[in-house]
Amino acid sequence: MTSRQTLPSGQIVFDPRGAVAATEIRLAPRPETLRGVRLGVLDNSKWNASKLLRHAAAALDGFEPAAVNRYVKDSFSREAGDALLDRLAAENDVVVTAIGD
Amino acid sequence: MHDTAKLEQRGVPAAVIVTAAFVREAEVQRAALGAGDLEPVVITHPLSTLSEDEIEARAQEAAPQIERVLTRRPPPQHGGGAPARE
Amino acid sequence: MSTAQTASPQAAETVDLVEWYFRQGWTDGLPVVPPTPESVESMVAALGGDPDRVETRVPPRWGSLTREVLAVNLVLAGCRPAYAPLVRAAMLALCSPHFNLHGVQATTHMAAPLLVVNGPVRTEIGMNAGANVFGSGNRANATIGRAVRLMLLNVGGAQPGDLDKSTLGHPGKYTFCIAENEEASPWAPYHVERGYRPDDSTVFCIAAEGPHSVTNHVADDPEGVLDSIVSAMSTIAHNNAVSSGACAVVIGPEHAATIAARGWTRADVRRYLWSHTDNTWDDVSFGDRYGRVYNRNLPRWYRRRPGARIPIVPDPDDIHLFVAGGEAGRFSAFLPGWGHMTSPVLRALDGRAGGGRAPCVDGTCEL
Repeated sequence: MTSRQTLPSGQIVFDPRGAVAATEIRLAPRPETLRGVRLGVLDNSKWNASKLLRHAAAALDGFEPAAVNRYVKDSFSREAGDALLDRLAAENDVVVTAIGD
Repeated sequence: MHDTAKLEQRGVPAAVIVTAAFVREAEVQRAALGAGDLEPVVITHPLSTLSEDEIEARAQEAAPQIERVLTRRPPPQHGGGAPARE
Repeated sequence: MSTAQTASPQAAETVDLVEWYFRQGWTDGLPVVPPTPESVESMVAALGGDPDRVETRVPPRWGSLTREVLAVNLVLAGCRPAYAPLVRAAMLALCSPHFNLHGVQATTHMAAPLLVVNGPVRTEIGMNAGANVFGSGNRANATIGRAVRLMLLNVGGAQPGDLDKSTLGHPGKYTFCIAENEEASPWAPYHVERGYRPDDSTVFCIAAEGPHSVTNHVADDPEGVLDSIVSAMSTIAHNNAVSSGACAVVIGPEHAATIAARGWTRADVRRYLWSHTDNTWDDVSFGDRYGRVYNRNLPRWYRRRPGARIPIVPDPDDIHLFVAGGEAGRFSAFLPGWGHMTSPVLRALDGRAGGGRAPCVDGTCEL
């Protein structure tokens, strides 16, 4: 893998960006509907995230989830820790999180 | 996006709500994470300065998208079938 | 843009490489130095060889920063090979999870990483720690800071207006790198306060707003000088007031001499500043003018009542104190940070952790 390239003129140039290497992750299998499903709601504590999620959870009530569980992330900018993610995965079938703004 | 990608890897379907101004950022994160199929739920920007009624309106924008992302039906903007990556 | 082609008998016209790099969008708006195989090789050698070795990945694009890519950006910025180990240490520090570079790159706030260098490397490579320390004119300060910015842009993908959503930006996004003036300081150097040896060379990184000048040409005692710095800190305008986190204070040598003449130590200074800033809960909640605000970004132990005084950062250790600048002029500077969403980091050039209490992972210590 090299950043070096040659232009049609023969001049040598270098790409300063570096490669983006990523292995594709497979999405989790989905339920057919939200009815009877445990819904986790993860608030990342940005401005108005909790209000938005409260209203959104109420709007999703029409789909008849079995339960709505609420969680708050300590810092809106950092990634959620493994402990919180493990809890979310153990206690819920699906998760909605907000907000990227 | 990182949290949602990690949840998907734990076998939990996850939907993240972003405002329209952050769709591009979400795209780049998906590419970097190898999570191209992870569709964000997009609502009108901004959110931080809204009244309770305006927030309710955003929640109404979000709810049908959340339901689609979390269940088997793909989001309509890709017209069904595998999402095309440009 | 162009793929490699075998040389044809009529090669295409020579292009102006300075213009070519501009056209790719790989510059900070200023002309870059077009790299050659020789100049890139010199930088790779200064990094220890092994051009394909991945040093780290740079958010938000998560581009792989190989030694070769690092070398290319060092040349683009105008660095000398002697600067390479310092720039690498800075990139490793910035890309550690503690710093949350992803957030710093993407935020609408103007914060940009400030680098402060300590130890013998400063004089070895000719850095400026004296007059005009935040300004221009010194190749090491200028190009080290610039190389970091070019990598944040090119490898990290933080193009202004695209993934870099900073509303206003600040001039530090061209370059923002200083050295502590250890020679003029009456106190131990910053890195020694943090548990390193004086002959360790370190780089400190904090996401910071631009310097806010603090003038005081009247006071001849520590409290007088520090009260002016307190005044600069006691405002709701900067990000620490609403988002907590850490900040930096740079004290000019004349001010430092006045403070130290009465026996005040680094710890005395930081504790005085922390104790006497006078933001109140009413200030940061706008007197409930827009409804009652809880503000989860501030610590839960801040008293949320009218009249309650609240500190501008949670702890005196969240004030990162340096002595820098020229020996004439009674000025200091306050640099607010971004908030609790990022932690400042400190890293030795050789990756050795200091002996202090800070948690260190792979050589980068969270402060």
